[in-house]
Amino acid sequence: MTKKIFILIIIFVFCTIFAEENQELQSITFGLHWFPQAQFAGYIMAYEQGFYEAVGIDMNLEFFDGSSSLTNLREGKVDFCTAWLSQTIAVKSEGEKIVNLCQILQKSSLILVAKKNTGIEKPEDMNGKRISLWSGDFSIQPNAFFNKFNINYEEVPQSYNIQAFLADAWDVASAMYYNEYYKIILAGINEEELNTFFFSDYNLNIPEDGIYCTEDMIAENPELCQKFSEATLQGWEYAFAHRDSTLKIVMKYCDEHQMQTNLAAQSWMLHVIEESMKYNTGENSSSWGILTKSDYERVAEILQEQGLIKNIPPYLDFYGGKQK
Amino acid sequence: MTKIKRPIIWKLILGIGIPLLIIYGTILFLNFKWNTASAIEQMKDYLVELTGHNAATLNTDFSKIAQYPIGISKMLEVMSEPNEQKLYSLLSEIVKGNTSINSMSVAYEPYAYNRKKRFAPYVYREEGDILTTDLSKDQNYCSADWYSIPMLLKEPYWSEPYYSQAADNTLLVTFSVPMFKNNKFIGIASANICLENLRKTMKSIEIMGGYTFMISQYGTYIYHPNERDIMRETIFSKAVKYDIEAMRTYGREMIKGEFGIGQFNDPITGIKQWLVYSPVVSNSWSLAVIIPEKAILKIVYSRILRQMGVMVLGYLVIMLSVIWAAFNITTPIRNLMKKTERLATGDLDVQMVKIRGNDEIHALAEVFNKMVRDLRHYINDLTNATKARESVDSELRIARHIQESLIPRIFPPFPNRTEFSLFARNIPAKEVAGDFYDFFFLDENNLALIIADVSGKGVSASLFMAVTKTLIKAKSNYVDSPETIMSQVNYDLCQDNDAAMFCTTFMAVLNVKTGGFKYCNAGHNNPYLIRGDGEIIQFENTEGMALGVMDDCKYTSKKIKLKKNDLVYLYTDGVNEAMDIDGNEFSYEKMVEFMKEMKTTTPRQTIEITMNAVEVFTKDAEQSDDITIMALRYLI
Repeated sequence: MTKKIFILIIIFVFCTIFAEENQELQSITFGLHWFPQAQFAGYIMAYEQGFYEAVGIDMNLEFFDGSSSLTNLREGKVDFCTAWLSQTIAVKSEGEKIVNLCQILQKSSLILVAKKNTGIEKPEDMNGKRISLWSGDFSIQPNAFFNKFNINYEEVPQSYNIQAFLADAWDVASAMYYNEYYKIILAGINEEELNTFFFSDYNLNIPEDGIYCTEDMIAENPELCQKFSEATLQGWEYAFAHRDSTLKIVMKYCDEHQMQTNLAAQSWMLHVIEESMKYNTGENSSSWGILTKSDYERVAEILQEQGLIKNIPPYLDFYGGKQK
Repeated sequence: MTKIKRPIIWKLILGIGIPLLIIYGTILFLNFKWNTASAIEQMKDYLVELTGHNAATLNTDFSKIAQYPIGISKMLEVMSEPNEQKLYSLLSEIVKGNTSINSMSVAYEPYAYNRKKRFAPYVYREEGDILTTDLSKDQNYCSADWYSIPMLLKEPYWSEPYYSQAADNTLLVTFSVPMFKNNKFIGIASANICLENLRKTMKSIEIMGGYTFMISQYGTYIYHPNERDIMRETIFSKAVKYDIEAMRTYGREMIKGEFGIGQFNDPITGIKQWLVYSPVVSNSWSLAVIIPEKAILKIVYSRILRQMGVMVLGYLVIMLSVIWAAFNITTPIRNLMKKTERLATGDLDVQMVKIRGNDEIHALAEVFNKMVRDLRHYINDLTNATKARESVDSELRIARHIQESLIPRIFPPFPNRTEFSLFARNIPAKEVAGDFYDFFFLDENNLALIIADVSGKGVSASLFMAVTKTLIKAKSNYVDSPETIMSQVNYDLCQDNDAAMFCTTFMAVLNVKTGGFKYCNAGHNNPYLIRGDGEIIQFENTEGMALGVMDDCKYTSKKIKLKKNDLVYLYTDGVNEAMDIDGNEFSYEKMVEFMKEMKTTTPRQTIEITMNAVEVFTKDAEQSDDITIMALRYLI
């Protein structure tokens, strides 16, 4: 008798699990705004560790060239995407119906870097120097910085590499702290031979990577959006806690996309991204991913000052994620 | 057979083997140490030479190719407006003539060639054909590194190598030379150089156990045996990846264009690695070799191993020789030992030892053989001598019997006579004695007493004694005065006495009825008279020498009268001259002392007292002379 009951219980449990397994997953496409690298380690690990699947999401990760990220969202090619805050505020103010779900990176990684032997120690020393700048959103902070310190300089366009900087063709280069800066280090120049200028040190911090979706999406699937954000943060938490295995997987993704990178560079990137995520938010993952009103307003003001936006969209229209 | 606890063979093996082992070990150790150091030094020198040579060769290649853009730039700097076709054909000729050059271009600054158009002739190699195009038609090269960097630097520039999709994903490097006319920048002359040859050159450098690599001026791997690392890793990223601080330091030296030697431990295996690098001066690249010290040591090890082989072989040969020599020495010695042991058991039939050679062992064997021979002879002689002696001994025994029978042995000799009691004893020192005593009645009442000591001992003495005794007895039949008998016997003995033997003799004649005692002393010890009242008197001397010395010697006699219980004590010098083990004599004094005890003793007791005293005195000392004592107590 007990045996029969036991068998029935087993069948019941099995059926439950099976039913759970079979529960229809919601298919989602998530567009990342650059090719695979440790900058996206959290998303990759959330995907690889099945955190998305665990919340009922059948995730489809796609990597794009930066410019096309929001276009893809607008065109419905992706359901969620990552993008820079400066970029999204600008399009929002022009009426684009997007919402920030989660502000992943809190601290801007864009920096200006100069070799010490150029004698550039402080912002004013950049006067009259040859400075390389990327175009678009990458130039917002430098421009604000130059305005702030009233710097006249010779601008040269900057491509993806920093060889001109290494060859001393430029005095100052733009660099992502998690990427180009470390490439300089990996080209044999020591940290103590460089002077770095972090925009956050000059009250010009523009948080970068955030997760976005359309207004419709958050209105129709608020729960999905929340689960997605949570799973993503869980992925990041996992990535920071399991650096070695994370980097191994990241390197695998890099190889698949033929990224010419190496473990040392990706390890550094993960480290800087972690610092950026925990900037002002701390170690506890529950406070990660929040876009504060002050951050939002500061960025909007910088954009307005540079004439990149006319009016500032209301904070709550723009940000749909969790609050402190 | 005696067991040998520490055989010579072991002594030799230990005595030679162990020092030899220590010497060989030391040689090997020192050799290893010195060899290791010198091998590393040699290898370093070799690697410095190798990297230097190859870097110099590559440098020459690059410099040669660099001359083309430089030449073109120089030419165009002075030409006002070069002919387009001629420029194309010049570039084509260069590309055609240099397989290393993948393509060449002269990229003019927009409108610097002429005010109306942009111009950037480009000649490239595609599937063996030399093709031409104008870059300005479809690309804005002005922001490209190969263009902008030399333009900004105002000097020629070697780009970082790159994989060119246009050229089948081969690795290229661009050398760009800026052109100036009237100090105004007018464009870039450049050559894209294929690094396939470099790859082949690098691959062909063979380093036993090690590998070569090349890095660019920014540390990027241009050549590495692990192709994945090429253009992906820099020497600095590897330093981070494997956490080798030193590698970053060396990398910085390398990109500075330094020559150098460094060492670090492999992060995975922990094995010490040597890094030797030389710069390719023209483009600030650096060629390096990494070789594990183990690979260098392998050469040393194999050398040492060979040496060890020879040494082990040599050692074995030496030890075998030692063992062989040891056996050569010990086997005959053992043989000799066995024979000696047999010899010691008395086996004189031991076979002679046969030993070849001419050394000490051979000599020893010869001596042994001689010894056996001599021993055999000696034993033979000894056996014969013993046999001879045995026959002499038996004759001596017979002589002793005869002598014994000559001396009266039965006591009391005259049981019917109550006038006196008599006892005598002769203890010879050798088998046959030279002493004798005698007593006999000359007539009814006159008793002759004789004690004598023949010079010398043994058979001759006993024969002389027998003659003397017989003569005395014979003369006594006719004469009864002792001096006459002595005189006659002396005369007879002196005749033909070639042996010059003599005999001290004391003769007395006692009238048993009257106690008259007449005596003649021929050179003998004066006897004692112990009176019944205890008085001890030594007989006075009479004239005359020992018998057999001089035939005309005159003998006289003296007379005394014995009283009742007087004891006449006759003896030979064997008593007073009896010696203890230290050579002290018994002496007259001691004799006289004991005589005090003889006041009432029987003659037998008297003699026993004397014998005991002598025995106590001499203890273990061998009896040196015949001892003869005769005592007579006069009873009426």
